[in-house]
Amino acid sequence: MDPLLKLDDFTMHYRTKAGWVQAVDGVTLSLARGQALGLVGESGCGKTSIAMSVMKLLPYNSKVVRGRILFEGRDIYSMTDGEVRKMRWKGVAMIFQAAMNSLNPVYRVGNQIVEAIVTHEPETSEEEAWARVRSLFELVGIPKERMYHYPHEYSGGMKQRAVIAMALACNPKMIIADEPTTALDVIVQDKILREMDQIRRKINMSMIYISHDVSVIAEVSDVVAVMYAGKLVELGQADDVFKRPRHPYTYALMRAYPSILGEKHELATIPGEPPNLLDPPSGCRFHPRCDRASAECSKADPMWREICPGHYCTCHNPVEIGGTWVGQVRSGKAADGGDQLGTSSNS
Amino acid sequence: MRRYVLSRLGQVILTLLIYITLVYFLLQAMPGDITQMYLANPKVPQAAREELRKQLGLDQGVVMQYLTYVKNFFRGELGVSFSHYPRPVWDILMERLPRTFVLFLTAHVLSFYVGYVMGRVIAWRRGRVVDYAATVVGITFWTAFYPLLALVLIWIFAYTLRLLPLNQFIEPKLWQGAPFSANTVFGYMVYGGGAVAIGLFLIFYAFLRGLKRTRRNVALAWLSGSVLVAVALLAASRAGLLVYIWDIVNHMVLPVCTLTLISFAGTMLLMRDSMLETVQEDYVMAAHAKGLPDTIVRDRYAARTAILPTVTSLVLSLASSMSGGLVTETMFSWPGLGQVLFHSALANDYPLATGALAFTGVFLLIAHFVADILYAVLDPRIAYTGQPAAEG
Repeated sequence: MDPLLKLDDFTMHYRTKAGWVQAVDGVTLSLARGQALGLVGESGCGKTSIAMSVMKLLPYNSKVVRGRILFEGRDIYSMTDGEVRKMRWKGVAMIFQAAMNSLNPVYRVGNQIVEAIVTHEPETSEEEAWARVRSLFELVGIPKERMYHYPHEYSGGMKQRAVIAMALACNPKMIIADEPTTALDVIVQDKILREMDQIRRKINMSMIYISHDVSVIAEVSDVVAVMYAGKLVELGQADDVFKRPRHPYTYALMRAYPSILGEKHELATIPGEPPNLLDPPSGCRFHPRCDRASAECSKADPMWREICPGHYCTCHNPVEIGGTWVGQVRSGKAADGGDQLGTSSNS
Repeated sequence: MRRYVLSRLGQVILTLLIYITLVYFLLQAMPGDITQMYLANPKVPQAAREELRKQLGLDQGVVMQYLTYVKNFFRGELGVSFSHYPRPVWDILMERLPRTFVLFLTAHVLSFYVGYVMGRVIAWRRGRVVDYAATVVGITFWTAFYPLLALVLIWIFAYTLRLLPLNQFIEPKLWQGAPFSANTVFGYMVYGGGAVAIGLFLIFYAFLRGLKRTRRNVALAWLSGSVLVAVALLAASRAGLLVYIWDIVNHMVLPVCTLTLISFAGTMLLMRDSMLETVQEDYVMAAHAKGLPDTIVRDRYAARTAILPTVTSLVLSLASSMSGGLVTETMFSWPGLGQVLFHSALANDYPLATGALAFTGVFLLIAHFVADILYAVLDPRIAYTGQPAAEG
């Protein structure tokens, strides 16, 4: 079956006074219906740029240099404005990074959701739309009389839930959740993530979770994509990527997060800083910070290759040892190390 | 909300008392009194002047006079004008106030609306030709010398093109033998116009409230709106008022346009700046992401939250319109409150001058009060905290 969303060698740059910032470079990935993809990486690595590209909400100083984004097989960059408006919210909804501020302060929360519903479904009457808001509020766990309140009367967690309810309002085929819980405390964060995951499974919706927090991604994703400096460096099933990370960056990223249930290890920072995307390093963009870098790494851009079935990585010298599982540990599946494929050493 | 309104009302009354006190003593501080007019008149000897002072109560102490005045003021009695003796001040004010009020309110609402709409458009199309053009034109008028602009407009439209009357409130020739007095017609015009405006507002509100605007409702709103206006016009013409109303409206066009031209840029630039901030807000981005049409995002999201500072400017410009009012009224020979104030102050006519100023004050305080209420209606965050919430 056709994937719901497909990025095909997508490359997008921002024009600044200092030159072109290569924010997204040659990203290829696809998302099947009902699948949850986790997009992880440091701040400024292009995660949000990808989200904005998919919503076609890029600022005026951006430019798609190469590649396409296909939603249900249609290139969104050749759609008309009207078609894009129809795709938004009905096709792809979004939970913004600053969910707290994505509610209009001068309208009642319920109104803002009803507005989205009646815009996309003109045949729905306003009463029906309000009824749907009521059931959405029930679903995300906000008392329903709250729909007549203004955003400033909500607590942070409630606003977050309201934004999730808003994203679900038009039964979208997929939702992009850009740091959906970063502003919340850990307990609320966990609760909301679980609820979102449940809802997603219930209505078989696709989802892209964007986060810098590996543990968040580990908890909710089927497939994980790791980004570094505008490029995809590793992609695979969540189990594979987190159990046996192949790219040194993924490995380092995971070492930088504590694992609650897994084995204890010293938290390791990644030396250096993310590169300046105005003038990214030659060859592999990670090589200046990589402890496995060889002479080749600064010269040749590593190829995107399938290291083992369904597990892709761009590295000249992939990590071979079993990594540390972060997030949930599933018993019996802890790193067994027996099936090191060793395909990497001969590259 | 009720508590908020009541507390604002209390503040308004207190401010009014302070204001009247100030005005009263300032006017009293002017040297001389009305009897000086008769100094050079040999028919009015010293004794007669003293008698006159006694009759007018000018021989009493200032504080005593002030207390009497305040007591009467809050009973609604403003006394008798000295220079138009024996016309009561209330009478004169009631004749002049509506004229000033209607002229300036029309001009301000129009200029505010033009400024708001244009500011909204140029902020949305920032950096395009329309942005630069509107800014240059607006600033040019904004900085123009007001009396000169008025003269130029009078010269073009009234003298050269003869499209509009030169000045005055009515055309005397037309009104000779008219079965109504100008004030009656003006009264009908104001009340009738007000009623029609409220009716139109209610009709459009009833049909177009809610988030869904079906084509049928829009058509119905326009249809019933036009019927209302047609009925009002028909009624006016059956009563034989239409030609006189038309004359008054004709006389209002030039001053209103001049006032609008000179002041719309203020609102426009304020709106532009304010909206350039709100378009960066996350909820505007979210509104785009929701797939709402461009104009809805602009009007309901970016412009709707950017309007608050411009409401302040509307009130402030209403406040300054009273001083600018004299210039306008003089340029267009408009018999309004500004002229009364000016002439009564020159003639040492304390009751009339104080009354006129007090009414200016009342007018302004009401405007402030309305603005406060508007604020609370426009920004739901205000009624709770008493002031606008910090961003975010």
